[in-house]
Amino acid sequence: MYIIGENIHIISPSVKDAVAGRDIKFFQDLAVKQVEAGADVLDLNIGPQKKAGHEIMPWLVQGVQEVVDVPLSLDTTNLTAIEEGLKVAKSQCIINSTSAEEERLEKVPPLAKQYGAKIIALTMGKGGIPVGAEERVNIALEKLIPRAMELDIPMEDLLIDPLVLTVSGCQEYCPECVEAVRILKVAGDPPPMTNVGLSNVSNAVPREMRPLINRTYCVMLMAAGVDYAIVDPLDEDLKEFIRIVNERDEGTGVGKLLVALYDKTAAMDRLTADDVDLGDPEQAEIFKTVQILYNDIIYTDSYLRV
Amino acid sequence: MPTIEVPKEKWSGKVREITLGATAADGGTRAKTVTVGGETTLPYLHFEGDIPHPPAIAIEVQDRKPADWSPVLLEAWGDVTEDPAAWAKAAEEAGADVVMLRFSLHDDLSAEYARETLRVVLDATGLPLIVFGPGQAELDNDLLVPVAEEGKGEKLVLGVCEDKNYRTIVAAALAHGHLVDARCPMDVNLSKQLNILISDMNLPLERVVMDPTTGALGYGMEYGYSVMERLRLAALQGDGMTQQPMLVTPGEEAWRAKEARTEEGVPEAWGDWAERAVNWETLTASALVESGADILVLRHPESVKRVRAMIDALMSN
Repeated sequence: MYIIGENIHIISPSVKDAVAGRDIKFFQDLAVKQVEAGADVLDLNIGPQKKAGHEIMPWLVQGVQEVVDVPLSLDTTNLTAIEEGLKVAKSQCIINSTSAEEERLEKVPPLAKQYGAKIIALTMGKGGIPVGAEERVNIALEKLIPRAMELDIPMEDLLIDPLVLTVSGCQEYCPECVEAVRILKVAGDPPPMTNVGLSNVSNAVPREMRPLINRTYCVMLMAAGVDYAIVDPLDEDLKEFIRIVNERDEGTGVGKLLVALYDKTAAMDRLTADDVDLGDPEQAEIFKTVQILYNDIIYTDSYLRV
Repeated sequence: MPTIEVPKEKWSGKVREITLGATAADGGTRAKTVTVGGETTLPYLHFEGDIPHPPAIAIEVQDRKPADWSPVLLEAWGDVTEDPAAWAKAAEEAGADVVMLRFSLHDDLSAEYARETLRVVLDATGLPLIVFGPGQAELDNDLLVPVAEEGKGEKLVLGVCEDKNYRTIVAAALAHGHLVDARCPMDVNLSKQLNILISDMNLPLERVVMDPTTGALGYGMEYGYSVMERLRLAALQGDGMTQQPMLVTPGEEAWRAKEARTEEGVPEAWGDWAERAVNWETLTASALVESGADILVLRHPESVKRVRAMIDALMSN
C-alpha cells in the first residue's frame, strides 16, 4: 500500500495561513517531514481557491518539488489550478479527484489523459454515496471505469475511491467500504487501483480517540487489498500497525491480533473474541474498535469504556 | 404441499425487564405495577423468542387544562381536564396501564405546586405514574426534584433526561428510588451514549427507559422507526447499553401534526377532522408498536382503544 501524505491540507489553520502568506518554506518543511516519515506521495489540498488557484497550485508544486522527489497529488475542485500544476510538475501526478457526476466526468479525466496523470475517481454520483458495497462498485463499473477506458487511461492510473465515511454517524458504511475495496480488486483484468481517505473514518470522533480507529480500519482496508491510502505519515502508531501487517510480525500479542485481523478480513471471515487476549488492554481496545467498524456494536464516544 | 421450515434467528441478547410503580409490599402505594421489556426476539415473532409483556399504554394527563390542545381532544375528555386528579381517574377508566402526568408551562409552577399536584394524582389513581416536566432544563429540574421526594418509593418514571441535562434528575431518581426516561433526538449513537452516562452515575439500568423520539406519521416517523429498529437489533445482538425498553410519545407527536391539529385550510378530501386526528394518532402509535415500543403515551381515549385492540391481537398468537 502506498502512503499519500495528507498533512498539506487547507483545513489546517497553519496551512491556510501559509497559503495566504505564500510561505513556501512552510510547505517545503512539511513536505520533507512527510517524505522522511515514509510518504510515497504528497497530497496538496489547497481548497477550491476559485480566484487564485491557477497561481497557487503551480507555485506550490514547484516549491515542493525543489526539496522532495515524490509524486504529488493535486487536490482541488478548481480544474484550472490542477492544469497549471500539471504543467510544471516534474513527475507523474495524481489528480484528486473526479466524481461520477456527469459534469466532472466530462472535464476531469481528459486532463489526466493529456498530462499522463493518475486520477482518483470517487464512487459518488448525483444521488450521493450509496451505503452498499455493490452499489458503490456499480458506480465504478458503470461510470468511472468505462470513462477511463474511453479515454485510454490505463487501469494502473485509475484510482477508484469508494469513500470512507465516519463511524460516528455513518457506521453502516464502514464494513461496506472494506467490501467495496475487496470487490473492486477483482473487478476486471487488470482491476483498477483503489484509494481511500483513511482519517474520514473518525470524523466527529473525539480527537484523542481518532488514531486507534484510523489504524485499526487501515489494517482491514489493507486486507481487502487497498492500493493507496491518504493518511498522516507522522502518525507513528499507524505506521507501526502497517509495518506489523507488512512484515507479518507476530512477535507480540498485538502483532498476533493484527495479523489475525488481516488474515480473517482477507478471507472474508471475522475476528472473534477467541482471537483476542482480553486481559491485554491494548488488544481489548483494538477488538472493541473492530466491533464498531464491523457495525456490530453501536458506536458511542464512550465505546472503549463499555 | 411441501412443508416449509421458517428460519429462526438465535439472538444472544435480551431487552431488560423494567417495572414501573411499587405496591405497598415494595414501599409504594400503587394498586398494581406494570412490567415491560424482556423480549428475546424482534417485535411479535412469537415463534422465534419470548415477548413476555405486552407494551404498556400510558395516557397523558396535564396538571391543568392544556392551552394548546386540539378541541377534538378537549371535547373527548370533557370537564376532567380542569382537574388532574379527576383526569387521572378518567384515564384509568379509559383503559390506561400507566398515567403520565405532564406539567405544562405556566407562571404558577413551583416546588410546592409540583408536590401537591403529584399528591392528588397519586391519591386519585392506583396506576404507576410517569412524570414529565414542561421540557425546559432548569424548570424540569426545579419541579422533578420535589416530585421525586414527594413520591419517594413509588417507582415513578421521571423525564426527561437529555444529554445536556440529566444529572439532577438521575440524582433525584437515585436518592428516592425512581426510574428515568432517557431521551435523544432520533440518534442511535446518542441514545446509547446517554444510557452509558446515566449508568456511570450508578443508576441501575433496570431503572432506565430510553426514549428515542420518533416524529409523527408524515413527519419523519420512518426515520424514528429505523432508529428504534437499529437499537432493538443491537439489543438482541447483545449490546448491553441498548437493552432498555423504549418509551415513545405518539400522542404528543401526532397531535402536533397539521392533519390532527387543524380543521381549517385543509382539503375537503381529508374528511372528518375528529376521525382523521384519531387515525393519525392511532397509525403513528401502531407503527411504533411494530418497531418495538414498550411504553406508548397516548392522548385520545379512542386511540387507546384501537391501539389496545392491535396489541391484544399481536400478543394472542
